[in-house]
Amino acid sequence: MKDKHLKYFFLTMLLMVLFSCKKEGEYHSVTDKIKAEQKPYHGKLTSEDLLTGTDLIKITEGEFTFLIPERKGQIKSYECIECHSKPFEKKKNANLKKAHWNIALKHANSDIMNCATCHNENDMNSLKSLTNQKIDINLSYKLCSQCHSSQFNDWKGGAHGKKVAGWTPPRASKTCVNCHNPHSPSFEKRWPVQFNTQKGIERNDGLGH
Amino acid sequence: MSEKNKWYKLNLGLNRNKKTATTCGCGNSEGNCNSKKEKKLSEQEFYDSAVDASIGDEREKDGFDQVFDVSMDRRSAFKKLTASLLIGAGAISSCTSVIKSDEGKEKAQIDWEEQFKGNYKLMTDEEKEKTVNRLMRSYELRTGKNISMSSKNAEEDVLFGYAFNISKCQGYMNCVSACVEENNQDRKSQKQYIRIHEMKDGEGFNFNTADDNYYHEVPAEGHFYMGTQCFHCDNPPCVEVCPVKATWREDDGIVVVDYDWCVGCRYCMAACPYDGRRFNWTKPEVPEEEINKNQHYLGNRMRKKGVMEKCTFCIQRSRQGQNPACVEACPTGARIFGNLLDPSSTIRWVLENKKVFRLKEDLGTEPKFWYFMD
Repeated sequence: MKDKHLKYFFLTMLLMVLFSCKKEGEYHSVTDKIKAEQKPYHGKLTSEDLLTGTDLIKITEGEFTFLIPERKGQIKSYECIECHSKPFEKKKNANLKKAHWNIALKHANSDIMNCATCHNENDMNSLKSLTNQKIDINLSYKLCSQCHSSQFNDWKGGAHGKKVAGWTPPRASKTCVNCHNPHSPSFEKRWPVQFNTQKGIERNDGLGH
Repeated sequence: MSEKNKWYKLNLGLNRNKKTATTCGCGNSEGNCNSKKEKKLSEQEFYDSAVDASIGDEREKDGFDQVFDVSMDRRSAFKKLTASLLIGAGAISSCTSVIKSDEGKEKAQIDWEEQFKGNYKLMTDEEKEKTVNRLMRSYELRTGKNISMSSKNAEEDVLFGYAFNISKCQGYMNCVSACVEENNQDRKSQKQYIRIHEMKDGEGFNFNTADDNYYHEVPAEGHFYMGTQCFHCDNPPCVEVCPVKATWREDDGIVVVDYDWCVGCRYCMAACPYDGRRFNWTKPEVPEEEINKNQHYLGNRMRKKGVMEKCTFCIQRSRQGQNPACVEACPTGARIFGNLLDPSSTIRWVLENKKVFRLKEDLGTEPKFWYFMD
């Protein structure tokens, strides 16, 4: 009697072992699948049709090469030297009307930052670095990356910021100033866009979870 | 006396006299049944009576009466009558009707073909094309408006992945709103695929005390925000439990539902550990001017009452190379989408260089939706 039970036990164990293996061709995890099947994308889909109409320039930072939107065409009052023909010191006259009165600097306190921190007084069309090197306004990210180096690293890789359009190569990412106003970069508090009144009703009736 | 059948007497048949056994097969113990007393018929008499039994009446009746004066029992008369009535009703309501307009007949033809089409997964590309054309034409006939529906298959060498930056989410819910508009979701029950949870600082991911329907200024003091939706698992429990195989994982990783095949048992809703699935309890209603006319058969086409639906990574957009609506709408750039198989994609950089994690890792569902922080 005992022998029969033992036989059945071993048979069940054998069947369980045989049936517990995963199907052929299926991976145990997504990372295994990615490692096995990865291939640079050379398919039919491309972001080029989605990007028509936007002016883009190609940049290479470190190991990354991608497109960013051109900036000079987006600034209404570019070129700055059309008004700022004289050097900075000459404009400090109290008689002249204060231009750019509506730009409030809410970026860092006055110990750290004023207009001359970023704007190049010798060439009002450009910006300047901490060591007084000229930075082209199209490449304004170089200026931001001086203080915000971790966000810059994330942006280069793709973890920070948004794409101009689509996930397909060629990659076109937005720059810092496309989302952040450089004079007041933080996002304001706001109200949520959506409120689900039906959920509210259901929760009141005790039907929600 | 006992044979009188009074209406109030319950006649169980207990008083029946037991019949004495006889050799007669008809069971009648008293009367004659003539079985023993049959005369032997001569051959001619036999032949005459046989002919008489089969076509006797017809030899005297005319053609009209032969068809319309057939004697039959009530049961076969009833059967024949209902059969002919059903066939007539079917013909009237189908494409062979004589009282419908051309449009009505075309509509009936489309509905008939749609009813008997097979499972979408087994269709060839031409059949998929045909069913999509039928649906587009049916919409045009019903409402007079045009939609464009695609049956585009998965692209080669593409596996979609998604990353969510929990440091950046501020709870604005632009993603929820954009998703509802893009995917033609029912406005009456305010269906939302995406849920944004407001959680208290310091308690971790505590979904029991999180609030996913708040309405105050965000970000609120002492709280943080993160979002959930269908995670498009690579080993999806919802696909395993579907009794009719109406949901499956496509080759590019998107888990889809065929709304014409789903029977509405909601087993997948019970199986999903992440609350990714939604059910249409009522007929979905979307105002005409808000309907998104760029549709995909497996994505945002109009659903009907009694079928499941869920996030499809905006299959109508992602298979054309665009980002899903939630990714485009987020103002803080907290959502990242891309091709996991492309080593130079941004989603791969995130997975390799940031601290990423997934929800309910121990269940082995292998979701393709990772969370990370700055």
